[in-house]
Amino acid sequence: MRSLLDEIGLGSERVRMFNLSAAMGARLAEIATEMTEKVKTLGPNPLGARTREQAAK
Amino acid sequence: MIIAEQKPLAEIKAMLNGRHKVLVVGCGTCVTVCLAGGEKEVGILASSLRMATQLDGNHIGFDEITVQRQCEWEYIDPLADRLANYDTVLSLACGIGVQTLVQRFPNVWVLPGLNTTFLGLPIEQGVWEERCQACGQCILDRTGGICPIARCSKQLLNGPCGGSQKGRCEVNPDTPCAWQLIYDRMSALGLLDKLMEVQPPKDWSTSRDGGPRRIIREDLRLPKDYQSA
Repeated sequence: MRSLLDEIGLGSERVRMFNLSAAMGARLAEIATEMTEKVKTLGPNPLGARTREQAAK
Repeated sequence: MIIAEQKPLAEIKAMLNGRHKVLVVGCGTCVTVCLAGGEKEVGILASSLRMATQLDGNHIGFDEITVQRQCEWEYIDPLADRLANYDTVLSLACGIGVQTLVQRFPNVWVLPGLNTTFLGLPIEQGVWEERCQACGQCILDRTGGICPIARCSKQLLNGPCGGSQKGRCEVNPDTPCAWQLIYDRMSALGLLDKLMEVQPPKDWSTSRDGGPRRIIREDLRLPKDYQSA
């Protein structure tokens, strides 16, 4: 999945998979925070921007 | 079965340069089983291409369909009406399926989305291995059912070469030495004496050396009036 996202041009860093048990709420919160920061750094989905550009034309 | 794998997305995108409306056509037989060109892979590839070409600023429309078998007229004939709506067909069949479409629909631009790789089987989940080269003259009766034509890197007929090391092939250590496999099997079956028979040089005229091959079964042919292709 991640290599496909790279090939498409969306970037593999937008998706990650973690295996967590139901008892690992604290770790889930940590991961969610890390991913939020990561996605903010990466910026908006470039496909969305392209779609908006085309819609504006 | 025929084993194939999808071409890299970048190569497929390059082939589609300048095209506008593409029908991605999957095949429900071999390439579905080897997870390269079935309905699921058609869906993933079409979605990937929609996103990738849009990011590149190319406006290409992609639709999807999967037929039961691309290598027989009766399964691809129903596509005839639909193809008029597209300037390109991207086939996710093996090379046979691609050429069947080309022969049946000579006015349609057909592109291959897969690399047809070999005749083989899945030995475990996600791992496929070659077993047959379709040489046209099967010798499995003399080699314990293990083919040295497809599975020995040097296609030797009378035992292993000096590069057989601890049961592995010198060309690729991931490849078992076919002659080690043959010897072990014949030994286990108590048939080692059969390997003492010297095999003459193989007649390759039944293989690719004889040019493209054709089988004609007169007992199965239809009268001329009934022949459609």
